[in-house]
Amino acid sequence: MQRDKFFKEVENVIHPNETLVKTHCAYCGMQCGMNLRVNRATNKIIGVEPRYDWPVTVGKMCPKGVTAYQQTNHDDRILKPLIRDDASLKGTKEGFREASWNEAYDLIVKKFSELQNKYGKDSLSVFSGVSMTNEKCYLTGKFARVALGTRYIDYNGRFCMSSAAGGFLRSFGVDRGSTLPWTDIHETDCLFIAGSNTAECHPTSMFRVWNVQERGGYIIVVDPRETPIARRADVHLDLKPGTDLALANGILNLLIQKGYADKEFINNHTNGFEETKELVKEFTPEYTSELTGVAPEKIIRAAEIYGKAPNAVVMFARGIEQQHKGVDNVSGYTNMALVTGKIGRPKSGVATFTGQGNGQGGREHGQKADLLPGYRKITNPKHVEEVCKVWKITPEEMPQPGVSAYEMFELMEQKTIRGLYLLCSNPAVSAPNLNFVRSAMKNLDFMLCSDFYLSESAEFADVILPSVTWSEDEGTVTNLEGRIIKINKAQEPIGESKPDWQIQVELAERLGRGKYFSYLKTAKDIADEFRLASKGGYADYYGATWDKIDKQDGVFWPCKDENDKGTPHMFLDKKFYHADGKAKICALPYRPPAEEPDEKYPLRLTTGRVVYHYLSGNQTRRIQFLRDMCPEPYVEVHPETAKIYNMEHEERVRLFTRRGEAIYKVKITEAIRKDTVFVPYHFGHEQSINLLTIAALDPISRMPEYKACAAQLEKVEIKKVQ
Amino acid sequence: MKKRLYLELENCIGCRSCLAACTQCGGHEERNRNYVYDVNPMVNRQTMPLMCLHCVNPACARSCPAQAIQIHETGAVLSALVEKCIGCQNCTIACPYGIPKFDTEQNLMYKCDLCIDRTKDSIPPMCASVCPSNTLQWLTDEEIENKKKQFNLDNGKWVTSIPYLEGETNVKVNLPGILQGITKLF
Repeated sequence: MQRDKFFKEVENVIHPNETLVKTHCAYCGMQCGMNLRVNRATNKIIGVEPRYDWPVTVGKMCPKGVTAYQQTNHDDRILKPLIRDDASLKGTKEGFREASWNEAYDLIVKKFSELQNKYGKDSLSVFSGVSMTNEKCYLTGKFARVALGTRYIDYNGRFCMSSAAGGFLRSFGVDRGSTLPWTDIHETDCLFIAGSNTAECHPTSMFRVWNVQERGGYIIVVDPRETPIARRADVHLDLKPGTDLALANGILNLLIQKGYADKEFINNHTNGFEETKELVKEFTPEYTSELTGVAPEKIIRAAEIYGKAPNAVVMFARGIEQQHKGVDNVSGYTNMALVTGKIGRPKSGVATFTGQGNGQGGREHGQKADLLPGYRKITNPKHVEEVCKVWKITPEEMPQPGVSAYEMFELMEQKTIRGLYLLCSNPAVSAPNLNFVRSAMKNLDFMLCSDFYLSESAEFADVILPSVTWSEDEGTVTNLEGRIIKINKAQEPIGESKPDWQIQVELAERLGRGKYFSYLKTAKDIADEFRLASKGGYADYYGATWDKIDKQDGVFWPCKDENDKGTPHMFLDKKFYHADGKAKICALPYRPPAEEPDEKYPLRLTTGRVVYHYLSGNQTRRIQFLRDMCPEPYVEVHPETAKIYNMEHEERVRLFTRRGEAIYKVKITEAIRKDTVFVPYHFGHEQSINLLTIAALDPISRMPEYKACAAQLEKVEIKKVQ
Repeated sequence: MKKRLYLELENCIGCRSCLAACTQCGGHEERNRNYVYDVNPMVNRQTMPLMCLHCVNPACARSCPAQAIQIHETGAVLSALVEKCIGCQNCTIACPYGIPKFDTEQNLMYKCDLCIDRTKDSIPPMCASVCPSNTLQWLTDEEIENKKKQFNLDNGKWVTSIPYLEGETNVKVNLPGILQGITKLF
């Protein structure tokens, strides 16, 4: 149990006739502790009470967390299976009728079987997400491979964490999002935070972040916008979107030139230093400034602070990862820690701010096109054999690796994929290049969607199955620290809704694959099988029993057996996970964003989040308080840029790229670069900024470049006159 | 041990979690009772909460012709008693910080009561419980005294509100600029 100075003994208020259920938030990777208030007479969730005893967040919650409970008994919940007979209505909310579970299951099995008989096993696909428990994520991977027998499964982590995963695997040989627990963050001397709007996207980290400055430490922020955290940073490196790698190389060069390299650490624990040193030589402060648009003196100051700091943590998020060189950006910034040896000890290390609630656990256990539980590779025969033993199938029965999330839509367009089972995701808002993605979804012969609200993506489905919210099921998730924690059930599922794992077991039975699934009768049954399936993989959860999670306030993986308490700090023995035990310092040639501004599209478009909404907004846009605070998207424009276009604050303007267009209200602010515009991405239909974004994929992580493309603005009135 | 609400305005990130949480206190009829302002939205992202400061000699209570606004023994200035409030809105005019809100449908004022159901037992109010940035904190007088020592603002540039703004308040406020007095570690 790590209890630090922020922890205070506080008794909770329990109102008459209420029970408190300890759990965690429904939303991001912070997984803030909370108590759900349950009315004992109605057995319904009616509110929230802080969970002061949770060591990571000590009762703190952002506005999404405070109002999360309002999802459960919301009027928009889908209470019964829905079937749409008229396929011409796809892409709209129209035409759905309520049906029984039996009728829905019969139709799904009929359609799935027809497609697979006619076009082969791989004509079906599964697109899933990681805002669900490890148990569900694990079972979804097994369901695709064992019940459907298809190679095509991938998940929305491709739009979120895959670049961090790729970068960490290359640098460390292991992908755990943070090398240290969050309870270390406020005790470090320097936070170097790149591409993270921490105050809005992971607000409950902020009391620790600010405390670094209150202690006399430094905060360095890399962001094209002056976000709330950049406003108070000691150094704000206001770079052009999509130029992170140049900045990382430039800072690394300065760290080496100014004598901050830890030669002993480099020699004993890393490979690749000499080659990297040569490559980054070119990135002088002047050249780096030319590429990034950041003043040379700010780059020098940042390198000096990071270099001098006794302890420092390099942190990053989607800003650097959602680029077509996202993996290189991750390894590039990670180089800073490896060259200076500021890793493998308390208060120093590298961390990514995981986006989705189970963004860490959900990517480790087999929802990814090429992965099996425990972070095993589907291309490694030994790994396949190990998992086959648990699944009781033969290695020949294990499907081949599939393709990444965005590439699945390409296969739908080409009719290679004809059927889709979508769960826990809303790609009709969150995927890039949406005109193409929406048309690919429309092109499907059959689509099943499981969700608790009728999302924009569900509008493309033939059958919708009502699933449950996080509060109506139990299981584990792995938070942004790599800490496995327990989500508890506070209420019975409303209407006829069912947890996704139950849906998958029942579907598997009807598909004639019952013997591989029927014995999984509770989430706990799945947890036990899943721990076994992860055993021996490097994301080893075998020792993380629910009982231990409860007793220890969570368990950090790897946790190999009953006596293993888990691993809060990674690499304390300076052993990395590559075969020779060394980390890799990566020589990474710079390349610009896939689409650079030109005469026709002179602006840089970048996207991101606001504090009031979560991802595609399917959950948060329905919550009154959050909707009141941010009802619609807008485009942030610098006043000097607005002047050039003769645009006023709050005027509606047309923003367009080579791929699409949308109308937005202008929000004039000096807190953004003059060459950059920003739009939050939480909104659906014609308000989606992803109609405009580019699907340039990272060669390793297959992450689309959401964070940089070329765009143009236009006054709407002028267009009317024409 | 007596604790107070303490505001460190420099920390505010504008998330408005305090407002969302305000609705969660049992006695608040799910209406939030305080404010968060964008200080200069077209220039930067600075924001600040404006919470009831629970004046020792509150203008709202003094101005109330019906004596509807009571002061709790903890010092919390309570919301108007429903049975006494005559809806005159004197309090909304008298308060130097513009805190009391008015419900035009019910013709009643309502304001922050410092989550009296919680704070009477020294449990932090909802806003300070959830505040992710530690802008709102629930501290002992000793802890507040330490803050005063830590943030030495004697640099001629900034004025701190400690000990108080208009008149003495139960809530203590530190205006932006607290970091000016910090000695850097290196």
